[in-house]
Amino acid sequence: MIGAPYQRRSPFGVVSSPAAAPVVVYGTRWCAATQMVRRFLDRLGIPYEYVDLDLDPAAARRVAWLTGGYVSHPTVSVAGEVLVEPTLGELEWALARAGLI
Amino acid sequence: MPGQRYARRLNDLEQRFMALAESIPDSPEKEAISVLHGMIQEVWRSFSGSAPTGRAPSELTLEDIASLYKTAPEMRGEAICEPLPVGTPAPDFTLRDPNNEPVTLSDFRGRPVVLVFYPLDWSPTCSDQLSLYQAEISEFERFGAQILGISVDSIYCHGAWAAVRGLRFPLLADFEPKGEVARLYKVYREPDGFSERALYVVDPEGIIRYAHVSPRLDMIPDIYELYQVLSEITGLPAPAPTTVA
Repeated sequence: MIGAPYQRRSPFGVVSSPAAAPVVVYGTRWCAATQMVRRFLDRLGIPYEYVDLDLDPAAARRVAWLTGGYVSHPTVSVAGEVLVEPTLGELEWALARAGLI
Repeated sequence: MPGQRYARRLNDLEQRFMALAESIPDSPEKEAISVLHGMIQEVWRSFSGSAPTGRAPSELTLEDIASLYKTAPEMRGEAICEPLPVGTPAPDFTLRDPNNEPVTLSDFRGRPVVLVFYPLDWSPTCSDQLSLYQAEISEFERFGAQILGISVDSIYCHGAWAAVRGLRFPLLADFEPKGEVARLYKVYREPDGFSERALYVVDPEGIIRYAHVSPRLDMIPDIYELYQVLSEITGLPAPAPTTVA
């Protein structure tokens, strides 16, 4: 489910996509909703990158950039679609749209 | 190729957008771009949400009631209690469940018990914490572990709350004398009239093997840490996260 790195031309030069999981969870260890989302992905067997907002202060800036300044946990990026505090139903639907389940 | 199953182009664009953030100096223009991006995501989310339910907007559903906590007053506060030490016997107690049946800790000897002390039914954080444990119930069953929720709410309040949130494990009423068991476990917050958010894991012999008081009321313990404790007690593997670097 993890794509291989690849490069392609764009008007802005060569763009390379890292071989990262297309799902990124921004959250904290002590947040119930974050744990709910992580365990949901675990059970589905979907690889995801977990970014702990407490351990990576720069990550909060990244989340703010994506959400228009709204830093909340969990924020989940599913193949480029950013979901702020999604319900599990919304997350499942986003994963299905992305073809990940 | 499996990696191309998802919307690669959207993912690429998102990563490029992310990479651009550092090269744009903080400014109102940068903020406007960020706000626009957030708006696009939210609009997309609203379009791609669930199908219309067909119900009238004014009709109250169980889901609405279960979500009341999201607009309820916040519950905040630093921890003020120190839990009982690990390695000591867990004090025995009997409390009533929502069916008014007595539940006694020592009746669970031979299997691990997770004691979940939480402040109040219907309140923020508590709702999510107990729903998490309900969602994880099959993992707890795999460990042979029994979860017991304990708060100062009455059996009737527990019954209604459990029904609305779909909680199937026992919620015990530490109602009268109020907070007696929470006091026994050193997690009663006298100034507030409810307990800390605290977790004890009691092993099959009745010994406390894990004691955790959340540093703040709106924090819940890490479930992966809890699984690690249950794994050490039972010798069964803990579920592994599917995280990648």
